[in-house]
Parts: sequence; structure tokens; C-alpha cells
Amino acid sequence: MLTTIKKMATIVITSISIIGCTKNQDTILAPLTATVVKDLAADTVLGIASNGMPYSAGKYTFYSLEKNAIVPNTDSASTKWDIALYSTKILTNAGTSGTGMGGAFVYTGLFDDLKTIPTDSVFKTDNAPASYAVPYGSGKGWYTYDQATSLVTPLAGRVLVIRTASGKYAKIEIMNYYKGGVTLPLTASAADKLSKQRYYTFRFIFQSNGSKTF
Amino acid sequence: MKVLKDTIQWQGDSVVVTATRSERKLSNLTVPVTIINAKTIQQTGSLRLTDILKEQPGLTMTSGFGAGVQLQGLNPDYTTILINGEPLVGRTAGVLDLNRIALGNVKKIEIVKGPSSSLYGSEAMAGVINIITDQNTTIPIQFSARYGTYQTKDLSVDHALNSKSFFYQGFYNYYNTDGYSIRPNSLSRVTTPITRFTTHQQFKYHINDNTNLLLAIRYTKEQIQNDISVSNGGVTIHSNGTENINDYNVTATLNHRFSSQLKTSFRSYLTQYDSKQDLLTLSGGSYIDLLNHLFHRIENQTDWVVQKNLTAIFGAGSVIEGVKSSRYDSEQLRKTNNIQYAFTQWEWLPIKKMTFIVGARFDQNAAFASAFSPKFSMLYKINTIHKLKMSIGQGFKAPDFRQLYLNFTNAAAGGYSVFGSAQAQKAITDLNGLGQIGILYDNYYQLKILQPEYSTGVHLAWDIEPNPSTFLSFQLFRNDIKNLIEVQQLGAYTSGAQIFSYLNIGRAFTTGGEFEFRKQITNQFSINGGYQLVITGDKDQITQIKAGTVYTRDANGNSRRLTMSDYVGLPNNSKHKGQLKLNYTKENGLFANMRLLYRSRWAVNNTNGNQVFDNGDSFADGYISIHASIGKNYKNGYGVQIGCDNITNYIDAVHLPNLPGRTFFMTLKYQINHKK
Repeated sequence: MLTTIKKMATIVITSISIIGCTKNQDTILAPLTATVVKDLAADTVLGIASNGMPYSAGKYTFYSLEKNAIVPNTDSASTKWDIALYSTKILTNAGTSGTGMGGAFVYTGLFDDLKTIPTDSVFKTDNAPASYAVPYGSGKGWYTYDQATSLVTPLAGRVLVIRTASGKYAKIEIMNYYKGGVTLPLTASAADKLSKQRYYTFRFIFQSNGSKTF
Repeated sequence: MKVLKDTIQWQGDSVVVTATRSERKLSNLTVPVTIINAKTIQQTGSLRLTDILKEQPGLTMTSGFGAGVQLQGLNPDYTTILINGEPLVGRTAGVLDLNRIALGNVKKIEIVKGPSSSLYGSEAMAGVINIITDQNTTIPIQFSARYGTYQTKDLSVDHALNSKSFFYQGFYNYYNTDGYSIRPNSLSRVTTPITRFTTHQQFKYHINDNTNLLLAIRYTKEQIQNDISVSNGGVTIHSNGTENINDYNVTATLNHRFSSQLKTSFRSYLTQYDSKQDLLTLSGGSYIDLLNHLFHRIENQTDWVVQKNLTAIFGAGSVIEGVKSSRYDSEQLRKTNNIQYAFTQWEWLPIKKMTFIVGARFDQNAAFASAFSPKFSMLYKINTIHKLKMSIGQGFKAPDFRQLYLNFTNAAAGGYSVFGSAQAQKAITDLNGLGQIGILYDNYYQLKILQPEYSTGVHLAWDIEPNPSTFLSFQLFRNDIKNLIEVQQLGAYTSGAQIFSYLNIGRAFTTGGEFEFRKQITNQFSINGGYQLVITGDKDQITQIKAGTVYTRDANGNSRRLTMSDYVGLPNNSKHKGQLKLNYTKENGLFANMRLLYRSRWAVNNTNGNQVFDNGDSFADGYISIHASIGKNYKNGYGVQIGCDNITNYIDAVHLPNLPGRTFFMTLKYQINHKK
């Protein structure tokens, strides 16, 4: 419990320093710069049950891209969050997931190359359990899972284009799924592969003026 | 002993049969051929086919489903393995385990590089490896006993009877190893305890001066003690049990010579490979895996000397084969295929310095489309020192039974299914009727009758022999492969588990160069070696990379476009390989050798998920292994040999499970020398 609080504290502190930085740059430079979020825990594995299967708390981590901060679980039914993370599943605040104006689609290409969201883009909303705006499953959206090595690898060249709860736009590139932002070696122990996964490192740009241009 | 004129006379070791399906001197061949003779096999202390092939230029051993051989960058599926010209069957996932073949009575091994389907049909896309046993020995009896690390025991008895009209040879081999574990604290052994028994019985009867009959039976029995751990999603399942393999081959050949211009040979060949894996998990669940492959072939080949500088070969045959497997819809029902084929080859020497060979083969199949395989090759002897060879040919590999009939659902790993292309349509329709199909992709509508995979290969060779003690050879090759059969996802169950089948979609190439040399330095001392460069690639992936639609990550973890300089080609391929061998032989029977083998890194796993093998993926490290052996053959028939393999104790348990650490062996031999 104590360690969890420590982790949260680390994330909050990192986030605050990033916000500070971003605000400064906002006022000086016109182009938006990416914010990096490190080690955002998303329902991390707590241990191995007696039946040999890993278990976790089973709770989403809610995140506001607008505020660049974790939103408490008590606000899950609000429009304060833009994305919610739960192992490799990513929700947006609309449809079956929330009451906001959210939505998303996966853009194939480079983060920096996506300067304007194409006008013919279709934002999807969550329709659990049949479909999600950010598709869930190996090779379907933003990651692959290798059964032989039990490792999750975010696909390069995938950008999650997000419509936030308030109807503004953001783009996200997920960079890593393991603690410390480094994918474990194939030969890592099964215990490490379980305990160090579900820590997101990602970069994002939120456009506060409501336009589709970053 | 009288030797018939139409039997193969091993003049030195320079006669090759595999390249043209007729006896030709190595120096007159139009295609690149490597010969490994019995002396090399003995002096390196090789027991199984794998042991000697791994030291040959241009060949790489693979692990996974047994020890297979990769030839000029092409996977084990694409090389035909023959014993005395008859194909071995019993491949798992396309790999024929070369540890099955004992080398005790092998006279020589011929390796033909380049597409050879014009003579051998399906599978001979990369080349052909023909193991030729001794059918003329005059040694009445010989024994060999060997003991080595990991309690590896090998016993061989070879005896022969000769009379004016009759020849008999019997070979028996027993091999047993305790196996080894090179992973610390692992319950499972990388190589499990194995017992193998092989016998090869050969009878030859000279009916008259122009006719002889050959009957050969080979039988191999193998028992493997399995102790397997399978990890999936952090859950490890241990199971143990045995795997029993029974493999027999029966050949009957009638050779007849009508005249010095015309001879013919009728061959009938029957082989069966039967494997049964019977496992019990520690929790009590049982797992049985069966494979039974039956192959019967009759063939006639007629050789005609049209005129002094023009010879022709005509051949025709019929194959009936069938496979039963527990991985098909019914393990009782044998899936069958019939093949009828005909081939011809014409060899023309317009002038003494030039040889042209043109050949073609047509294979008509019941289960899939037919194939036509032409080949052209030539030799130009510029002078006594320089020789140029050129060949261009088409090879093919017919879809195998697994690609047609597999019906496999892996309950242990998420319930995914793989259906052979002949089964997929019906299986999915049936599942759909039960409401189990969640989604079908475009690939499903692309399902059609599988076509053979085709390769076009071009080989160039320049041989230089400045003096009898020096030989150099430079070779260039390129193979272009189309119609590659690849596993593709067709859709998914309602549960989300994936459904796969096979489609003809891939295009690939392998290209490179080889350099070989031999030098007799003194009467006793010689050195030989080689270097090979192999570059491979998936043509569709290269198109995508050039179009800028393949991505990887930079050092900061940000995505960037993959460039061609990041691309490494096909997995499990080393770009550089080299061999260096030092040999010492004395007239008194003393011999010693040291062999250095080098292989550069190879891609093993697509870790960055972009489907393309590039510098951002995981590789097995390149390595050098060193082997040495010393021995003496005494005039009274006794022989003794000791050896050490992998002297530097190089171990890579994950990527090289077939390479144990340093091992030692000692062999004792005795043979009754024949009296003239």
C-alpha cells in the first residue's frame, strides 16, 4: 500500500514538473511540444494466486490529458477524465465507457507527421464488449503480444488520436508498457514479466484551442 | 572380384551421381557440387548426418522440430534428402531430423546446390543432399565402438560377403545418449535421452554380365524420453513421456544394359515414417501426437548415348503417398496424393571444352496444381586451370499434407486454430453454422487451391586449379521465390481466438557468394576452408519499407520510419559464415585435424512488433566453434581416435539447443583387412 502511494507520488511530481515546463514553452513557442508521461501504472499485477494465475486490483487508471493528471477513481462517472487504462485496454470517455464527448481512432504514421487530423477521419466510441474506439487485442490497435515470450510491445508508427471528454483533440504515442520505459529482455523471468508490466510510458499533445491542428 | 561395367565404380572419389542422375566426373559437372567422402566423415568423428553437414560451406543447421539444414539461406523444407537416390519422408513442420541418419556405412555424401526439381521434383528448390552407402566394400567385417561425454555410446558393426555373382552387406548401429541440460536449474533437458537403432541390409545379385538386381532395406528405431516444460502467460506445465519413431525404407532396383549405348533401370521404393509421442502432464492429463507418412514410388530411368558427344536420359514414375496424423480431422483416415511424373535431360559436348545440359520435368498431382521444372546448365573449360560454370533452373515445392489438411486447435495456448487450406472452407462454414465464428477477414475470401511454391535459381562458378595441390572456387548465386505458402489469419472465433490457414502470398529472395579453397602444403599437411555471404529478403516487406510504411523506434522510444539499412532480411539467416580446417595425415595411418566454424548473428524474434526483421529485433550472437580430433589407423586393422568438440565451450542455450558444451569422445575400431 505504502509503495503504491510512493508510485503515485512519483507520477504526480513528474507530471507537475512536466506541466510547468509545457506552460513555459506554450507562452514562448507557438508550436505545441509533446508531454512525456512515465510509468503510469494501469492495474499492475499484485501477485500470483494459488491457482497459478496472476491477479490485480481490477481497477482502471483514469487520466486527464487536459490537466495532465490522474483522476481519482471516485470521478469515474464524470467528464473529468479523457482516457482510462486497464492492462492493455484503453477507454475513451463516451459510449459505453462514459458520459463525455470522447472518442478515438488509431492513425498509422509518425507522431510528428500528424499535424492536422484529416477531415475524413472517423472517431469511434466504445461499445463494450464488442468493440472499443482504441481496439483491444494483439496486433489490432497499438500493441502486439507475443505468446512465446509473454511480452507486450507497443507498435511503432501508431498514434492514438483522442477526442477528449470535452470534445477537444489530443494525440498520443504509447512508447512502452514496462516499468522504467524499457521492455524486458526475452529471457527475463516470468515473475519479472508479470510484476513490471502495465506501466505506460507515452507522449502526448493536447490542443486546448479545440482545433484539429497540433 | 569382378565389377560389372554398369555399376558405379568409385574411381577415387571424383564420380558424382546426384547432379545429372548418371555417373559423371566432378571435373565435368556443370553445377556446383560438394562431396564429403568416408575419410572425412571418419576423421572428423562424425556419427550422425548433422555432425558432418554443419561443417560444410553454405549449409547451416537449424533447431526446432529436429535438426534441419538450411542451404544457401533457404529453409529445411526446400532441400531434398536422399539415401542412394531415394527420398526420406517424415517431416515435422517441414523439417526432416537429420539426426535420424547414421553415417557408419556411408561411402560419401553429395550436395548439389541450386534448384534441382528438373531431376528430383518437389522440395529440390534449394538443392539435394544424397547419402550414398558403400555397395562395393571388400572388408569382410569391421567393428567400431565409441564413448563420449553425456554417456554417449555408439556401436557399429559392418560386414560384407562377396562372391562372383553375389554381394551382401549388413550394417548395424546402436546409439544412446543420456542427453544434456545446458540451462541451469532446468527440469527439462535440452537434448533428451535418446536411443537409436539402425540397420541397413543390402543385397546385390549379378544375374549376368548385363543385368543386376539390388535389394536394400533400411530400418531405424528411435526412442526419445521427453521431459518438457511449456510456459504460457506465466503458467508452466511439465509433462513427460516417450516418443517412438519407426522408419523403414525398402528399395528394389533392376539394372539392365542392352548395349554400350542403352541401359535402363527399374526402381521400386517403399518407405514409412511412424512417430508417436505419448505425454503425461504432471497433473495427469495425457497428450498424444501421431504422424504416419507412407510413400511408395515406382520409377524407370533409361540412359541413351545417342552419339559420342550427345547423351540423353528419360525417366518416368508414379508416387502414391499418404499421411495420417492426430493433427488432422481424423487420425484414422489417411490423406492421400498421387503424383505422375516424367523427366528428360540432354547432355551435349559440341567441342571438348564445352558441355551443355538441358533438362525438364513435369509433375502431375492429384491434390494440387501440377508443376513444370526446366533447367539449363553449362561448363566451359577455358584451359587446364580455369573453368566456368553457369546454371539456371526452376524448382518447386508442392504444398505438403500439413498445409492442406492440418486441423489443429491449441487448447493450451488460447484456443487458436490452424486449418489446412483444403479443410479451412468447410471447417469455417461448419463453425459458422454453430455460431462460433466472430469475424472473417478478407483473407478468408482469398482461400483457394494451394499452388506449389516456385523458385528460379541462377548459379555462376569460377574454378581455378593452378596446380594439383591448389584449388580455388568463387561462386555467385541468386534464388527468387514466389508463391510462398504462409500462415495467415482468416478470422476469429466469437471468443476472440484466432483462426489461421495457408495462402500463397509470399515473395522472397536469397543471394550471395561463396569462396572455397584447398591447399596441400606438404605431403602430410593440408588446409581448406570457405566463406559464404548470404543476403535474404522478403520482397513485399522491402516494397513496404521503401514506401515508408514500416516503422521502428529511435533511442528515445519515439517512432521513426524503418530504412533499408535497418532491414536484415529473413529470420534465422546468418549473413556471414566461414570454415577453416587444418588436416594432418601421415603414411603410417596417423591423422589429426582442427576445424574452426564461424557464423555471424541471426535474427530470431520480431521483438518490436513491426512484422519485419530489422536491427531493432532480437538476435542470436554470432560465434566460433572449434573442433579437433586425432587418431591412428594401424596396418593390422585396429584404429583408435580421440576428439573434442566445441573446445571453447561455447553455449547459447536459448538459440543453439543442439550445441552442447565441450564434449570428448574416444573411438576404437577393428577391421579384418581383406586379402587380395
